[in-house]
Amino acid sequence: MQLTRRDLFVGGATLATAASFGTSAEAQTRAETLRQVTGNSVNTLDPTMPGSTREAFGISVNVYDRLVSFGRKRSGSGWIFDPDTITGELAERVVTSADGMTFTFHLKRDARFHDGTPVTAEDVKWSLDRHVSARSLASAQVQTGGWTRPDQFKIIDEYTVEAKVERPDRLALPNLCTLYCIVINSKLAKRHATADDPWAQEWMKTNTAGSGAYTVETFRPGEQVILRRNDAWKGGPLPFFRRVICQTIPEAATRASLIERGDADLSIDLQASDIPTLVNRGRVKLVSTPQFNAFTMIAFNTRVAPFDNVKLRQAIAAALPYQDIFKAALFERGAGLFGASWQGTPPESKFPQPLPLRTDIARARALLAEAGFPNGLDTTFSFNVGSATVSEPMAALLKESLGRIGIRVEIQKLPDAQISTLITEKKVPFLTETSIAWLPSTDYFFRNFFTGDQRWNYSSWNNAEINALTAQARYEQNAAEYDRLCKRMISILAEEVPVIMLWQPNQDAVMPPTVDGYTYQYHRQVDYRDLRRG
Amino acid sequence: MASITPLARRAGRRLLSSLPALFGVVVFTFLLMRVLPGDPAVFFASGPNAGQAEIEEIRRQMGLDKPIPEQLVRYLWDIGHGKLGRSMGTGQPVVTDLANRLPASLELTFTALLLALSLALPLGIIAALRPNSAVDHAVRLLCTLGVCVPTFVSGLLFIYAFYYVLGIAPDPTGRIDIFASQPPNVTGFLLIDSALAGDWEAWWAAASQLILPACTMALFVLAPLARMTRASMLAVMTSDFIRTGDALGLSRRRVVLVYGLRNALLPVITIMGIVFSTMLGANVLVEKVFSWPGVASYALDALLASDYAPVQGFVLLMAGIFVLVNLTVDILYGLADPRISIE
Repeated sequence: MQLTRRDLFVGGATLATAASFGTSAEAQTRAETLRQVTGNSVNTLDPTMPGSTREAFGISVNVYDRLVSFGRKRSGSGWIFDPDTITGELAERVVTSADGMTFTFHLKRDARFHDGTPVTAEDVKWSLDRHVSARSLASAQVQTGGWTRPDQFKIIDEYTVEAKVERPDRLALPNLCTLYCIVINSKLAKRHATADDPWAQEWMKTNTAGSGAYTVETFRPGEQVILRRNDAWKGGPLPFFRRVICQTIPEAATRASLIERGDADLSIDLQASDIPTLVNRGRVKLVSTPQFNAFTMIAFNTRVAPFDNVKLRQAIAAALPYQDIFKAALFERGAGLFGASWQGTPPESKFPQPLPLRTDIARARALLAEAGFPNGLDTTFSFNVGSATVSEPMAALLKESLGRIGIRVEIQKLPDAQISTLITEKKVPFLTETSIAWLPSTDYFFRNFFTGDQRWNYSSWNNAEINALTAQARYEQNAAEYDRLCKRMISILAEEVPVIMLWQPNQDAVMPPTVDGYTYQYHRQVDYRDLRRG
Repeated sequence: MASITPLARRAGRRLLSSLPALFGVVVFTFLLMRVLPGDPAVFFASGPNAGQAEIEEIRRQMGLDKPIPEQLVRYLWDIGHGKLGRSMGTGQPVVTDLANRLPASLELTFTALLLALSLALPLGIIAALRPNSAVDHAVRLLCTLGVCVPTFVSGLLFIYAFYYVLGIAPDPTGRIDIFASQPPNVTGFLLIDSALAGDWEAWWAAASQLILPACTMALFVLAPLARMTRASMLAVMTSDFIRTGDALGLSRRRVVLVYGLRNALLPVITIMGIVFSTMLGANVLVEKVFSWPGVASYALDALLASDYAPVQGFVLLMAGIFVLVNLTVDILYGLADPRISIE
């Protein structure tokens, strides 16, 4: 075949038209597509798999439904989740018995799983049984709400399930809102269950059996997950975005440029230091929410010398330059938990709240002498590499200020896996960590972070009164009495300083100005159902 | 044709003789990973309520609850059956992960190597023909710059200039525009797959994503290739046979490219083999900067998480590739200089 110049021209014109058609069709779907960029990756489609990442949690929230979930409320210019409002997702309504021990869930009759089968009481029962029996992350979570055995869940009829706890537990219902308590298509899952794996855990890592607002179109761990809207969703109002791309971009600077150029629509893990510059250039919108269920702290190992000495801990707490650390490490992007003016009993019972921690070098010196270290001491301060952008300046200021009262600090920066191991084995004397509680109630915080032998008790604190108070508060139905117990716990914490509470970092969600409705969720991930493009 | 069979037999023998080395690599990495501090089970059991029970469960899933010699035997047994274990980080079998990611790394490395060679050979030859001239100094400067600027710096600079400021490069996020359709997977090399499918839009999308990371890497390896070409050409150009060629009145072009270059190629091929293997394993920074879903960034993530199986699988893969590259280099020797055989 002989090509003439004319052929080429015609061919080129055809190609050009095709290309422009291609872009216009794409532009239309682009507005209805949300592209989130993140530094981490989604490693499973089953959020209850041991080892699942936070991003995997985020995806599962959108792909599965739960019986109930938390509502949301306005806070400043943005939205935050509201642990006090519980709304139905697959449940049309929940009836709580007068004694607070029995919950009856009436299911939505028109709800369907992604494969079209109706959501029935049998599926709910199977899913809840799975969450309390299978070896998964769910069982450890739901037992904090008193859910431990399959016989607590009973099928009343095809669309009604009854769940019963043995004692009226404040966190029984909130626990069923958490993202582990997904409702699974039991017929589909059972088809993939084996004798060794009765709960189809292997299959559900890479497949979904849900009824949620989105279905999974592509799942490439470490690269991207693409979701498509489930137009038959009954769990709530239909979300705006038809398609959602959650893409892994390891380099924070690249994520920032993508957002700024409008090629990506959302990132919640940019570097704190980049954000002021980005916002100043005016091409992006920032939704900044203090993570009111999280906290950054400095912890002492209270079970071994030297930090088993209360006076020494108090001395260090009096020597730290809180405001300077807050400024240098976090650029003040958060809510401080220091500098409160109360003494003795706190004004309110919520936690975390600012504690009466203030810099007072003279008092620090006096306390240090009282503690029996007039000449100071040597110690090591550890943090993980992953948090280096914040922890490094913090460590430097801490070293300098403690040096002034004679405490010589060696800074130890450890890879994440290594420091997790050391913390679990309780081998780190002095460290900083940021942690979070999904269910932000005071007794839950204290139970998780200040009692017991688990990893989250960073200071290995074992205080008899705290242990008794948390056990009592959990089942306390009287609000005034609950407040009194919580305030007592907080005053003991302020007095004994097993940890020095520093701040609640902001979650900075950066997006183009057109994206709206971003809500800070308890799991610190994106609920795509909240978002829309204006 | 007759010479192919002995060549194949020799290549086969070489591969067999590399097995003990590979075995050593496997055992060594296996032990090394277990000596490193950091317990993967604890790292991955970091859910909000993970306690000792979760840690034990993950340990059981990863097979770490058994004594080390038994773990080693099981691991070797699995390798014998083509399994490399499961990655905790991605939740996938390591073999699947590597099979998905290796083509990405290879495509990038090959393109970068081709780019680097197409620049380095002419530059090296020109520099050798006029030693200590302005051209020679210019080449030296370019090489020094290339090797001095770390790849993540040049990569970020490229992104800043071509994507952020000029807006002519596509967003530096992986192998193909996320909104473009992906060609059907045949070889895993996007350029080849989209060409096979006749999908030139996808080919262009893939090629434009590839160009910046490939340039970044090419710039970095320009120096060893160009400097080696120059040095080896310098030596060859003063040899007797070149003087003879010149004296016989052969064209300059023929003397330089046929008699000179061919004889100067041996060390260049050697360094090329080394450069290739290094690029494949050590281009982790380029992969990170350009979000390239390759094997090196995969291995680094796994190493930070103390995820044993992917790291071991990666090292084994690299060792295997190194064996193959060395073999290829030896065969190329024979082609460049028939006096050398690979025995």
